[in-house]
Amino acid sequence: MGDLLSGDDEDYYYSDQESLDGLDNEESCLQPLSSKANTAKVITKESLLAAQREDLRRVMELLSIKEHHARTLLIHYRWDVENLFAVLVEKGKDSLFSSAGLAVVENQRCGASSFSHSSVMSCDICIEDVPGNQMTRMDCGHCFCNTCWAGHFTVKINEGQSKRIRCMAHKCNSICDEDVVKTLVSKSQPHLAEKFDRFLLESYIEDNKMVKWCPSTPHCGSAIRVEDDELCEVECSCGFQFCFSCSSQAHSPCSCLMWELWKKKCQDESETVNWITVHTKPCPKCYKPVEKNGGCNLVTCICGQSFCWLCGGATGRDHTWSSIAGHSCGRYQEDKEKQMERAKRDLYRYMHYHNRYKAHIDSAKLEDKLSDTIREKVSISEKRQLQLKDFSWVTNGLHRLIRSRRVLSYSYPFAFYMFGEELFKDEMSSEEREIKQNLFEDQQQQLEANVEKLSKFLEEPFDQFADEKVMEIRIQIINLSVAVDTLCKKMYECIENDLLGSLQLGIHNIAPYRSKGIERASDFYSSRNSEEPVGELCQPSDCGTSGWTSGFDQALGSANSEETSCSSRKRPRKDGSYSNTQTSLLDLNLPAEVTERK
Amino acid sequence: MIDFSRVQKELQDCEKDKDASNIRVCPKSDNLTRLTGTIPGPIGTPYEGGTFQIDITIPEGYPFEPPKMQFSTKVWHPNISSQSGAICLDVLKDQWSPALTLKTALVSIQALLSAPEPKDPQDAVVAEQYIKSYQVFVSTARYWTETFAKNSSIEEKVKRLVEMGFGDAQVRSAIESSGGDENMALEKLCSG
Repeated sequence: MGDLLSGDDEDYYYSDQESLDGLDNEESCLQPLSSKANTAKVITKESLLAAQREDLRRVMELLSIKEHHARTLLIHYRWDVENLFAVLVEKGKDSLFSSAGLAVVENQRCGASSFSHSSVMSCDICIEDVPGNQMTRMDCGHCFCNTCWAGHFTVKINEGQSKRIRCMAHKCNSICDEDVVKTLVSKSQPHLAEKFDRFLLESYIEDNKMVKWCPSTPHCGSAIRVEDDELCEVECSCGFQFCFSCSSQAHSPCSCLMWELWKKKCQDESETVNWITVHTKPCPKCYKPVEKNGGCNLVTCICGQSFCWLCGGATGRDHTWSSIAGHSCGRYQEDKEKQMERAKRDLYRYMHYHNRYKAHIDSAKLEDKLSDTIREKVSISEKRQLQLKDFSWVTNGLHRLIRSRRVLSYSYPFAFYMFGEELFKDEMSSEEREIKQNLFEDQQQQLEANVEKLSKFLEEPFDQFADEKVMEIRIQIINLSVAVDTLCKKMYECIENDLLGSLQLGIHNIAPYRSKGIERASDFYSSRNSEEPVGELCQPSDCGTSGWTSGFDQALGSANSEETSCSSRKRPRKDGSYSNTQTSLLDLNLPAEVTERK
Repeated sequence: MIDFSRVQKELQDCEKDKDASNIRVCPKSDNLTRLTGTIPGPIGTPYEGGTFQIDITIPEGYPFEPPKMQFSTKVWHPNISSQSGAICLDVLKDQWSPALTLKTALVSIQALLSAPEPKDPQDAVVAEQYIKSYQVFVSTARYWTETFAKNSSIEEKVKRLVEMGFGDAQVRSAIESSGGDENMALEKLCSG
């Protein structure tokens, strides 16, 4: 699986595009001209500090404050620098500071050093007289002895309140200076100081809506940071692909809510459904599932109705061992449309969608194995004396297949909820629903047909074919890849614009379609030359637009200059779904890790 | 480690102005981890005239952790459990600050007696009564005060009445004949 993501494949990918020119234009012509690098970043334990520094630096530069003050502000504003700046512009510095529990910085700096050894002061906490050099004054002006401060910090850190340790004075909302906390705590309890440090660092992940822990189990230890848009799917460096907004496995074109419901439904029902379908038959009268508990094929439901176990048809009570009176199901009959009870209909409806969902998931698993076979075939073919030397079209085709298989499988739970009554009963009239369902199902069928064709061609033993035949397969695969990609894109557009877009409830959004598969988060350092802190990289960037924007863009330095967008603008709903795809991204994605639910 | 020297100092401090504040803190045992606080019921409330005892436990982290306090005298109050005496008060929880003392905490409790907060109740039954039928609440609270918060010892009652200028023997007989009710005894003494 991991092999698919290797650099070799990426090389194939590129050379393929160059060599094919007109033939395979699927990747090149659909890309916007943006030079944006991929925006999601993997933050590891090691790069967490540097990632945090970037934001700290922006705030420090703009407000000319110290790092720990910037951190206090950012923790309060949940690491949303734009929001912090907005509050600054709207309400001013004083309000910004006081709401975050930051003493106004101007009237401080009469710190611990100003007390001499000789002066003796009284600490209001332990009510002892203490030499001045053992007292510490916080930024808020309250002054207590070091032992008491340390005792206070210890209790608070152990309570898990590292991020907001308040001053000891009653009703003082000031947040204590983290450097003072560290210094005083580390004297007696170094491990606690470490814990404190870690809490502060991890705040960048826990309190930040643009950063999330990778949800892989066992946890890989990394977090992912996205820019601009939380509504996206990413792949962590550990290979796990997930939906950034709900932290479960990647599930588009299903919305997060739909996927949540579907997962739960599958867990709740799959076992039951399996058991029921294997062991029971619905009673023809009350439609309750009936379990057979004896050898006789005449079964009586608790409602009193007798029926034939073999065909499920209702019977009278007169029967013998050899025949069931007044009833002969041995003869083949055209299945008549039966009036089914609602519960049964719902169950069948669910089973219909689930079967198809599961079938595609299963196919994806098998096609995963196909990649090994294909690699073998490619290496055999390359050694043969053929006209064609480049076999990247096979790998490309395979990746296209795997990606679209994923889309296809998740399109079934989507359809289950979109056209079911559970979520949107009052949103559409039944005529409207029918039209939309037909529209969607047409697209789904087309996609399905093309995916299956592509799968079939990829399984051909092209390594044994003659030149001409190989060329033919090549063209088929390339054409089908383009078709499948276009169909996927259209399906997403249809879902975004015509189906979800027309709803009154705006809670259903899906991650945009990405022709190249789910974005693979790059290492936080990948765009840098060194691991130097951002502070060293203060070159003006060209992306600043207004006065203070350029101020903090500078702070970002060259490290981020290719990430042109500093705004937190939301993706417009009807945006072309291609706007988020990126040329420089060459990741080759696999279907989401699919856990089989039983 | 409990900072016993601070507790000791607090006790001394309390002792100093016990007449002004009427708030007392006495150790229950020698090691100062268990204390008893005493507050008078605030004037103008159904608790007026009562003397309320509060069990205090000093936690390991004191004064960085709040002291544990709970009424040992039964009280009818929306923020105090009528069963256990548990107190719902912010300064005893997240609003505790090491700069506060046992005395200030007791003052806060006294303030809570004057200003109940039925919207954040400890005892839902009391709170409901407080909101729905305030008069019934007042008389219940007063009855509880009479019944549970005024069982001060005969000696104390004698002492108080003697301080008013009555003779010791006279006072004792008056209290005895009025069944221990101090007010009734006072009436008797005054009338006769």
